[in-house]
Amino acid sequence: MDVTGSTLREAVAVPKRSSRAWRAHVPWLAFVSPALLFLLVLFVWPVLRLMLASVEGGSFAAYEKALTDGLYVQVLVDTALIAAYVSVICLVLGYPVAHFLSTARAPWPMIGIVFVLLPFWTSILVRTYAWMVLLGRNGIINRLLLEGGIVSSPLPLLNNLTGVLIGMVHVLLPYMIFPLYAVMRRVDPGLLSAAEGLGAPGWQIFRRIYLPLTLPGVLAGVTLTYILSIGFFITPALLGGGKVIMIAVLIESQVRQFLAWDFAAALSVVLLAMTLVVYFGLKRLFRGDLHLA
Amino acid sequence: MAAAKIASGQSAPDIRAPDQASAVVLAPDEIGLAVSAVVRRFGKVVALGGVDLAVRRGELLTLLGPSGSGKTTLLKVIAGFEIPDEGAVFLDGRDVTFATPAKRGVGMVFQNYALFPHMSIADNIAFPLEMRKVARNEARGRVERALKLVDLTGLGERFPRQLSGGQQQRAALARAIVFDPKLLLLDEPFGALDRKLREQMQLEVRRLQQKLGLTAVFVTHDQEEALIMSDRIAVMEQGRIAQLGTPQQVFHHPTSRFVAGFMGESNLIRARLTEPGSAVVEGGPAVRVREAPLGSNREVGLLLRLERPRALGDGEVAENEFPGSVSEVIYLGEAVKYRIRLDAGFEIVVRWPYREAKGALAVGDRLRVGWDRVDAELIEWT
Repeated sequence: MDVTGSTLREAVAVPKRSSRAWRAHVPWLAFVSPALLFLLVLFVWPVLRLMLASVEGGSFAAYEKALTDGLYVQVLVDTALIAAYVSVICLVLGYPVAHFLSTARAPWPMIGIVFVLLPFWTSILVRTYAWMVLLGRNGIINRLLLEGGIVSSPLPLLNNLTGVLIGMVHVLLPYMIFPLYAVMRRVDPGLLSAAEGLGAPGWQIFRRIYLPLTLPGVLAGVTLTYILSIGFFITPALLGGGKVIMIAVLIESQVRQFLAWDFAAALSVVLLAMTLVVYFGLKRLFRGDLHLA
Repeated sequence: MAAAKIASGQSAPDIRAPDQASAVVLAPDEIGLAVSAVVRRFGKVVALGGVDLAVRRGELLTLLGPSGSGKTTLLKVIAGFEIPDEGAVFLDGRDVTFATPAKRGVGMVFQNYALFPHMSIADNIAFPLEMRKVARNEARGRVERALKLVDLTGLGERFPRQLSGGQQQRAALARAIVFDPKLLLLDEPFGALDRKLREQMQLEVRRLQQKLGLTAVFVTHDQEEALIMSDRIAVMEQGRIAQLGTPQQVFHHPTSRFVAGFMGESNLIRARLTEPGSAVVEGGPAVRVREAPLGSNREVGLLLRLERPRALGDGEVAENEFPGSVSEVIYLGEAVKYRIRLDAGFEIVVRWPYREAKGALAVGDRLRVGWDRVDAELIEWT
């Protein structure tokens, strides 16, 4: 990006050379153009169409409805909250796993990474149905708990927030683990030894040295899981049993049940806006912390 | 250069230095650090094979050895990063063999400085104070003083990556001494610095250590650095201390071929003792040697530093005299190194100061080379 930027400035400043600069970029353009065309036709154009649909007839009524009607505002808030829960749970579960992967001896990191990647080999739909089998009232987990005498009545694990969180965390955990793993591997173990030698007990080494040094990984992982969470559809749709409504579920029902294209489009734009806000917000936070890395 | 100065400046006393300075008896309250019969194995590899060491309070002792000699493992045992399989470590008389590094109160300067990259220099230096729950106001004063001590006043707010290598080195040193450690450990701290800066830092660290009266253990593989810095040097070989003594003792009176080879260039002439005071060099000629309590017919090495043989002028005599001719000339600036083929059938290398008026000898020049028996050290060949 920098290269093209500077060449562009150069081209503007020295018009004589602009044609040569342009020619220098021809092979580059030739290579990217298939991907560019693909994105223009199948992504940018539909998004623009969607945006246009949301203001059909020149009215912002759809947005007004999405952003003021208590029912829909609640869905937006719930979506943001669920995404936050998922990110935090992924962080709490993923941090120790990533730490193990980055510090374990020879064969274990490889084995661990294969296990972390294993879910990717199965379709998300299949995995979600598998959770329905596991979590249902008569599901495997409840039957084991009942037979073991641990609970007296089945736990409500499906068709509620618990089920949605379990399913989403399962899908998104690798997206938390890998950025953390990448950052943790670069932490110089000598720094931890140094802290220990200077008199720091274990938890202080973590709080003052390890955590700040791995913070970029935490932010990257949280950004990724949060952004993926707010647009989640299949898992909340199937494991929430219609009781947990996230924005993507709402959009789908507006289109399929009510054919309310303008409203669905407005909700989609709101979702896009939320995603961008979160992305740039966390990125800013990132940059503020960049001097750490 | 410093090594050369020691070599030419002082003539070695004509007595054998004690093999081990552990023969020097220290009163218990003089000892800052004691290591007793420490053994450390990694699988089948014996990294430390029974090391005994006593470091006097305020003394800087250097562990000198090639990589794999166990010097770094010994340092880790002292710091608490390794637990020995056998033996014990005492700090100020207290058994700390199984104490964690944090509990030992030892300041350490690491090879790559290990400054915390996310903290300012002042915060780095304050870290050990903070861990010791020193009040913030007092800590600030101590950090300032430590910064001043290492000549970094005013740079406390910078981050490590904003400092040069030498400045990072100083910051790491300040962090290691700010909490008045019982012991300062330095693990090859100058390895990453360029030559000129390294020499400067060596002297600075030495001055600081002496000024503060710190007990220190220094690890290096550079013999010159060891000679410059140390009160005493422990030369390590395969997990053991091969020789322990002052720089002069270790340099001039090495007790083994290994130590002799490690302490800079010298001639090692293989010979067989015939009677006390004389020996026969392989290939024929007799040489007069120091009297040593070694049985006759023993194989010995004659250790002859490059500066010791003299070029004999007309009428000059020496206890050992050999005519020969120059076979190689290496110009070193302030000195010239000559390889001389002696007519008696062996070769020696000498290093003589270069005097412009006389010029250098040339290949093929004839000369008489001589040395006295006290010039050569006698080492068992084994």
